[in-house]
Parts: sequence; structure tokens; C-alpha cells
Amino acid sequence: MRSIVTAMPLEAILTVAAALFCIGLFGALSRRNIIGILMGVELMLNAVNINLIAFWRYLEPTNTSGLIFAIIAITVAAAEAAVGLAMVIAVYRTRLTINADEVDTLRG
Amino acid sequence: MRAMWEFFFGVGWLATLTSYLTITTAILVAGSLVMMLLTWIERRGLGYMQDRKGPNRVGPFGLFQPIAEAIKTITKEDITPTDADRWVHFLAPVVILASTVAAFAVIPWGNLIPVDINVGVLYIVAVSAVHTVGILMAGWASNNKFALLGGMRGVAQAISYEIPQVLSLVSIVMLVGSMSVVDVIQNQMDPYGNILSWHIFTPVGLLSFIVFWIASLAEGERPPFDNPEAESELVAGYMTEYGGMKFAVLFLANYLTNFAICAVTAGVFLGGGNGPGSDIPILGTLLSVFYFLAKSLGLFFVMVWIRGVVPRLRIDELMHFAWKFLLPLALVNIFSTSLWIAIIRWGAEQGMGIAEALGAPGSIARIAVAWVVTAIINVVAFFLVARLNATRGVTTYQATPTAV
Amino acid sequence: MDFIIGLIFWGLSALILFSGLMVVIVKNIIHAALWLIASFAGIAAFYFLLEAPYIGVVQILVYTGAISILMLFAIMLTRQVTGEGTQQLFKRWWVAALVAFGLFAVVIVPTIWFPRLPVAERGQPTYWPQSDRAAASATPAAAPAAQQEPQPEAETPQIAGAFEIGRSFMAEYLLPFEVSSLLLLVALIGAVVIAYEERTRRRRILTLAEEAELRRSVAGLGMERPLQASAQLPPGKSEAGTAERR
Repeated sequence: MRSIVTAMPLEAILTVAAALFCIGLFGALSRRNIIGILMGVELMLNAVNINLIAFWRYLEPTNTSGLIFAIIAITVAAAEAAVGLAMVIAVYRTRLTINADEVDTLRG
Repeated sequence: MRAMWEFFFGVGWLATLTSYLTITTAILVAGSLVMMLLTWIERRGLGYMQDRKGPNRVGPFGLFQPIAEAIKTITKEDITPTDADRWVHFLAPVVILASTVAAFAVIPWGNLIPVDINVGVLYIVAVSAVHTVGILMAGWASNNKFALLGGMRGVAQAISYEIPQVLSLVSIVMLVGSMSVVDVIQNQMDPYGNILSWHIFTPVGLLSFIVFWIASLAEGERPPFDNPEAESELVAGYMTEYGGMKFAVLFLANYLTNFAICAVTAGVFLGGGNGPGSDIPILGTLLSVFYFLAKSLGLFFVMVWIRGVVPRLRIDELMHFAWKFLLPLALVNIFSTSLWIAIIRWGAEQGMGIAEALGAPGSIARIAVAWVVTAIINVVAFFLVARLNATRGVTTYQATPTAV
Repeated sequence: MDFIIGLIFWGLSALILFSGLMVVIVKNIIHAALWLIASFAGIAAFYFLLEAPYIGVVQILVYTGAISILMLFAIMLTRQVTGEGTQQLFKRWWVAALVAFGLFAVVIVPTIWFPRLPVAERGQPTYWPQSDRAAASATPAAAPAAQQEPQPEAETPQIAGAFEIGRSFMAEYLLPFEVSSLLLLVALIGAVVIAYEERTRRRRILTLAEEAELRRSVAGLGMERPLQASAQLPPGKSEAGTAERR
């Protein structure tokens, strides 16, 4: 049975994941909007997950550790998104802005 | 199917590709035909429930009415509002229809199985969750307050009811031990055509069926949960700004969702295409497709029936119903499912030495005890939750001047 | 077949990377969120291609169906300041671009030029036979890959799926499972506590005139100062607040 393992070298997948990670990094660093920053972080987490699954598939397809790591990463990403967006809404309520460079006072 | 095309082409990947394309085309064509039939059933059935005739002029018994309406809708002008976000407005029906059709990839039509992936049940739920994105896109891009309200309502409702839906499927997955839809149907197969082997005829399966069916009605925006498109409040909800072919696509997606719900319910709880004679080589396939369609259309008739009888819920009642009634029931059901499995299948090495007194795993005595125990738990839980909800006054409504 | 798989792979990669790029450069934040959804869907298809259907389905369920919806909701709740008029990138965004590009270069050069991974030789079909696993785990990871014969026709041995995931979650990974469930619970409660607003303090929806007034005041103040907005006042007092600002 042919599969991706016979069709593609592992480096191709790693390249795609690295490119996605860097795009996410650029988004996280350059966006003013906090939600835009969160989007960049989500892209980075997804790139990491692609790497995890690719390594699992190419190196240890019979073992479950790669899959479990990916699932736990998804769980953490979900928790991060929920809390992060709740904080965005709380910030918006007190400051009426969600641009990261305008939220610069420590006073609530 | 693949073998047939391999005979023609001789090339492996071309045969695979062609067989997949054939299956996809067959599903799409059959889906559209079934959708036409469903609209006819709905309108005629609703007509008789309301003491009128329904459409009966075009063709025999009005059967060609959907075709006439399709022609009418297609020839209408395609309008995009001036202030709408053009691309998103255009893409929303595409997303909704695509997510709906994708669910059909794993739904078996009797013995005809398009694809059997080992996470089929979860796949159906996940793919139909994508259509909330389409709803939100449609609501936002229309740049219309009714559309946005309808879209927001639709998404809130779909996300809330997804949870009891998945949790009710968890107990069936526990019973079967697999998430493949084919395995779930095989588990209800009985060599003697005994319908008592269907999941719905166990206490666990019955409660799971009730929760799943109600949650699915809300997922498919069927009355009494059709708040996202409530005509009397929101014009047509997120569909307000759609006309012509785009509206036709939304309408098609709506009915395909309903059919998918009926098909999944028939497969998971009512044995799919199982029935007398469905395991005969060739005739059995036809019979199983017939049984499958009969069960699905019967369930769709129940949907129409509910629409004719039950008035629409208010939006806060709807949310309370999901979180305070369905969710606890689904959790209780998971508990009693594990009891069921423990009593029937486990032996001394899993720590169920007590059950050994009743006989070997799977014996009649054990099944009887499991039946009684889970039935008592489920019935008590049902009435307890219903009573708590009634006395806590969750349905009281205070007019608050504030909004979000 | 390999050709088809390669085609699918590059198509999916192009989809993921292009929509990822659109997420970070597009001006309208809602469009950015929609491109993000497209990227998530492409990644889910990628997991299916990598024969991890369970992860793919979870990706669709969690990312495409839940997280992106959360983001869209958050954007719509903060809609007044995220319109197309505002500047979306920092002024020195090119520094970020430089950092990201530099990181990409630093990561990718060793990956492409010095592959030390024990998969197989470059250009060869890679394969990790079941029988060689014990031998390879004894040797260091940087060992030459010559001993692993490429066996493209052999049946891949029993890829771990949903069943094995469930097994190992209940056995050797029980503690991470419980910890992540605790994390989810904490996140649930935390999100409710942070975003909860008492009903008496809840902000009234602004009328169109008030919203225009607010925008004008934002433009007048400049974007530097955090706004102490009048819209914060309870419903009854908002008239007074508007008057004050005038």
C-alpha cells in the first residue's frame, strides 16, 4: 500500500510546517489587534502539531506517543484560546480598545 | 466498485479516483432527489395536519412541485446587497452545503458503504459542526441586523446542542467499542431478523436516542428549534439577504442536513439497512437500501409531525433545555452504559466477581439484571431532572432592559 | 499513486501556506479569521493524508468548529474598533518580518542540507520497518541510514489509530490525560470569571449617533491614550455621559 511515506520525504513536511510557524510568528509579532496576535499563535501551534504528526508517522507509526502529544497540544490550544479571548473581551470592556500598543497601563 | 473500474482501466490510481468520483456523483444525485422528496413530504404532511391539502396540482399528487420550484428559483435574479461583503456573502452557502454533503461520505445506504473510516461517528459530528462557520459568514456578510441576529442565534444554538449530541453518541460508541458507522450497524445485526437487537430497544439506547434526536433537531434547525430563521421575528434569519440560486443552495443544504440526521439516527439506533433478508447476496442489497430509506423517511415524517404539533421555543428556554436537561441526561446515560457493560461483559479479572454468580458473560440472567438496573437509573434520572427543571423555575422570564 | 499523493501534498501545502499568509497580512480582521479557518481545514486534510484520521477529525471539531467560532464572536463583540479604517500592523512590522524570515532560514537550512533523521537516504522512498525498530533504537539517532532497506511494497505495520489512542490514554498516559482535563476545567471557569459582567453594569448598546460620536472622540484623542469611555456608564446615565463629552 502506497502512502505519503513512500511519496514524500519527511523534510518536505518539515519545511511546510516551518514556513507556517514563521508566518504565524510574523503575525504574532506584527499585528496590533490582540485577536490577530492570538491568530498568529494558533498558526504556530498548528505548525508544531504538523511536525509532531509527521515525526510520528515517519519514525514511530506503531507507537501512540506522537498522537497523544498532538492531542494534548490541541487541548492546551483550546484552553489558551478560551482564556485569551475572554481576556480580550475584558480588556475591551475597560479600555474600549483591543490594540496591543494602547493597553499599556497597569491600572485597571 | 473499485474492482469494476480496475477492469476498465487496469491502472490502480485511475481506478481509485474514478470509483471515488462515481460514488460522489451517486451520493450527490441521490441526495438532491431525496431532498425533493423531502420537501414534498413535508408540505403535504404539514398540509394534512393543518386540515388542508398542500401542493397537489403539478404532477400526480403534486409530486413534481419541487421541480417546478427549482426551475422558478434558478431563473430568478441573483442579488447581492450593496453593502454586503461580496466574497463572504457568496462563499457562505458554499461552505454550508459542502459541510453538509461531506457528512454523507461515511453514511451507509443499507449495504452500500461509500467510505468506512474508523472514526466515522466523530467525523459526522465534526463535519456538521463546520456549517456553523457558514451560518456566521452568511449572517455577518449580509450586513443586515436580522441576518446577523439569526446567524448569532444559529451558532449559539448549534454549539450548545453539539455537546449533548456528542455525549449521547459516546454511550453508543462505548456499547459498540468502535467509532466506525459500519461497526455500529453491524452490532445491531441479528441473524434471525430480530428487531430487538436494535440499540433503541435497550434502556441505554433509548435515552441516548431521545437526547440525540432532540439535539439533532436543534442542530438541523428544525422546529421547535428554528429560532435562527424564525419567520415571525427575524424575517428569515441568516437567509434574509439571499435570493435565487444561493437561496436554493441554502435550502438544499437545510434539507440535506435533515436527511443526514435521519440517516444517522436510523443507522445508529434503528439498525440502518438491517431487516429480514438484508444479508442475501444481491437482492439483500436492494432490500437493505429499501429498509434504510424507509427508516430514514419515517424519521423525517416524525420531524414533520413535531413541526406540526410543537410551538417554537424562546431563545433562553432553548439554551436552558440544552444545558440543564439534555446534558445531565447524557452524562447519566454514560454512567448507566458503563454499568451495562460491566454487568454483562466483565468477569472476575476486571473486578466484577459479583456478576459471576449470575452466569457467564453475555448470559440471559446478566442481560436481565443489566436491563433492570439501567432502566431504573435512566427513568429515575429522567424524572428527577425534569422535576428539578420544573421547580427551579428555569423558564421564568424577566424582561431586562439591557442587552449584550 | 505516488504522483497523486505528491500532487495532493503540494496542493494542500499551497492552501495552508497561502491562507496562513493571508491571515497575517489581510486588512479586515474578519477576513483574517475566515482565512484562518481555511488554513485549519487544510491542516485537517493534511492529517488525513498523514494517516492520522482521528487527529484530523479532532482538528476539524476543535479548531474549525470551535476555536475559530470563538474568534469570530470575539471580533464581532469588539467590532467598533476593528473596522477597516484602523491600522492593523505595527509601524515597525518589517522587523517582525525579518525575525520570522531569519528564523525560517535558520531552521530550514539544516533540515534540507544536513538531514540527520533516521528515516532513509534523501530521494529514496522512506520507510521504517517494524523489525528494525529495536535495532535502530539501540543505535544513536544520527546513525547512517544505509542499514534500512527501502521496502515500498511491504505492508505498513499496524498504524496506531483511535483504538490505540484510547488504550494508551487509559494506561501509560493516564496522568497527562487527567492533567489536561483539569486544565480544561480551569480554563472553562477562568474564561467565565474573566468575561462575566454583572447585569447591572452591563453596557447598553449604543445608538448610531452615539457610536459616531464615540468614533469622533477616538479620532480626536489620538490612538495613544486608553479611552475612558462614556459608554461604560450604566444605562440611565449615558445621556449625561454624552453631554459631558460635548
